[in-house]
Amino acid sequence: MTTRDLVLAALFAAIIVVLGLLPPIPVGFIPVPIHAQSLGVMLAGVVLGAKRGTVAVLIFLLLAAIGLPVLSGGRGGLGVFMAPPAGYLVGFVFAAFVTGWISERVIKREQSGLGQIASFFVAAVIGGILVDHLIGVLWLAYGPTNLGLANAFLGTLAFVPGDIVKAVVAALAGRAVMVGYPLLPARA
Amino acid sequence: MNTLYVTGNSLLHRLSARAKLIALAATGIALIVLASPLLLGISTLAALALYASVGIGWRQSWLRLRPVFVTIFVVAIFALLVNSPEEAAVTLLRLTTLVLLAAAVTATTGIGEFVDEITLAARPLERLGLVRASDIGLAVGLVIRFVPEVLGRYQAIRDAHEARGLKARPLTLAVPLIILTLKNADDIAAAIDARGIRGHKPARRSKER
Repeated sequence: MTTRDLVLAALFAAIIVVLGLLPPIPVGFIPVPIHAQSLGVMLAGVVLGAKRGTVAVLIFLLLAAIGLPVLSGGRGGLGVFMAPPAGYLVGFVFAAFVTGWISERVIKREQSGLGQIASFFVAAVIGGILVDHLIGVLWLAYGPTNLGLANAFLGTLAFVPGDIVKAVVAALAGRAVMVGYPLLPARA
Repeated sequence: MNTLYVTGNSLLHRLSARAKLIALAATGIALIVLASPLLLGISTLAALALYASVGIGWRQSWLRLRPVFVTIFVVAIFALLVNSPEEAAVTLLRLTTLVLLAAAVTATTGIGEFVDEITLAARPLERLGLVRASDIGLAVGLVIRFVPEVLGRYQAIRDAHEARGLKARPLTLAVPLIILTLKNADDIAAAIDARGIRGHKPARRSKER
């Protein structure tokens, strides 16, 4: 990793921390208010690509683990990695990786703007929603919470609408950043 | 940024970070295997005593533990509704014990100790060429240094919205925040390399992609 890549990842980790400091945004038609932190994870993949995006999220989670209150609501420490939603947190790493991996391969410079936004959206939905919720549900079902697969699945559904809104924002932002300051390593 | 470390001289403060982390991991595994509400109740009381010995204080403890306990109670109530009361009790006690123990380790281990321990643990990975162990501490330092700056930038963008009578939307806030922040990366990277912080290996540019 070059120094620039390391710095980009660290700066993005700082952005994810700041997004967690913002108060959650209530959206009219959705039962749970939206936290901007998981939006930051999708953005990391979309803006930085698989490798640097994953490193950004790893640094962010490391800060939380060593006792900095960087998670939304001022949470932090090792306790949050034992709590029921811990799977979603660990899932962030894979979410950023998959979002970035798909983004690197699907988005092309010569695509139309709308096509790029659609591609980023697909990447954010698969990585940021499917992968993250899969790991979150598995932890709820078989981790110390031991809720059972069906129940855990039921619980996760409440958060899906909010996450779809985030995927839309991530897609629009991903395309806007790519136009303004392209960083995504393009791959054939 | 404030950390969750609490100064003190309790038994947990004096133990090494490694001993605490290994003990925490071992207890975590034991608690997941343990399924008797009675034994789990005893371990919860023991964890509570250990947590109290650290000397965090009621107010601080309430602030720290409340968000995590809210999720634990939600899950326990859910387990009560769909499973048996016994299973709900097991879930509640097991998670409470784990969270208390983890919070006690967090409160008694400084950031520096953690970073040293992680750097040491990353040495084998370094030999495989996966990471540079010293980069971990550098990255942690960079984030702590830049969070206040990113927050300041966020507030400036918000103010700019307000001055123009625009409604602050997630998209119009996030995009300038990301671009303005990441544009500094070249300068920061140059400053790090100029100081030789990552050693004097010749910079490998663009090849790594």
